[in-house]
Amino acid sequence: MDINILTIVIFLLLINSLVSVYRIIIGPTHQDRLIGLNLILSQVTAIMVIAAVNFHRAIYLDVALVYAILGYISIIAITKYLKGKKLHE
Amino acid sequence: MDIHQKWKIVRILLTTVYLMIGWLAFTCNIAPFSLLLGFLFSFTLALFTYDIFIEKREVARRALIPRISPLLIYPFVLIFKIYLSSFKMIPAILTMEINPRIVHFRTRLKSEIARALLANSITLTPGTLTLDLYEDYLIVHWLNAKTIHSHYAAKLIKGHFETWLKKIWI
Amino acid sequence: MRLIAYLFIGMGVFFATFGNIGILRFPDVYTRLQASSKCGITSIISIFIGLMILEGLSFVTVRILVITMFFFITSPVSSHAIGRSAYEEGILPWRKEKEKEKGE
Repeated sequence: MDINILTIVIFLLLINSLVSVYRIIIGPTHQDRLIGLNLILSQVTAIMVIAAVNFHRAIYLDVALVYAILGYISIIAITKYLKGKKLHE
Repeated sequence: MDIHQKWKIVRILLTTVYLMIGWLAFTCNIAPFSLLLGFLFSFTLALFTYDIFIEKREVARRALIPRISPLLIYPFVLIFKIYLSSFKMIPAILTMEINPRIVHFRTRLKSEIARALLANSITLTPGTLTLDLYEDYLIVHWLNAKTIHSHYAAKLIKGHFETWLKKIWI
Repeated sequence: MRLIAYLFIGMGVFFATFGNIGILRFPDVYTRLQASSKCGITSIISIFIGLMILEGLSFVTVRILVITMFFFITSPVSSHAIGRSAYEEGILPWRKEKEKEKGE
């Protein structure tokens, strides 16, 4: 596997996602955890698109699109679930 | 055939057209079989969801069909504003000099799509975040509040967006 | 041309890093949400513009454009959803003066 600039970018974004995982672990409220999840979602989509351009596989773009749609729907569903529940008092 | 049934048919057809545009954008394929499949699925979905997509009281023509030319310029204005907002965000992150407040103000836009787009644009401009929208009032969280007076806050936050959106929808 | 593309991609990584620093340093939910929504969407758009310049005019560019449009619409909406659920749950926003009074 040859190393070029795009590969380095993928590794940098992966390190960024790990920092977001730390926020998910320590987050005091549920909304903090959702913020970390939202940020990871966008970064993983960016990684998939970069991989599609880097390795010349157009199928990764479809995977990225479906992943973005499912992540969006899941965040809306979790916020609907939390609505009306007094969870931390 | 009374007017309610006619309006129902128009709503179903308009929903089908919008869903077809979405299908064409996602598949990028104009083979006849793909078009037929897309039309069938769009029509079936439109039969279920037309009442949510276009409400019964939204009868103005401008509320449903946008003007094309400002709609094509608007994303570039928005992208410019987004870059401006992010460069303003970096000093706030580094120095932590913030003064967050919650302000309320009202909007004059009427159609639902225009209001949703106004809320999205406010979220993307420097230091503001829409929390809720009820009746005519927007609840906005402001990172670096200069005033809490509703009228001036509306002038500072909404800026050019409302006039731009008024050109596109009603 | 390749240099401009790499500049945009580098800017995207830069903004993603600052978004992460922001969500670690800010004091409460709403301010963290500000940092994540602004820097997240900017990093995504920068990276995708860079990739579109790098790829030239082709089938891949159109697909990347569709994904960009999708993010443009949905990213603020998910931020609203998170902020609204926090607001309805009754979490009070952090304020400067309150913090000073506590310190004295």
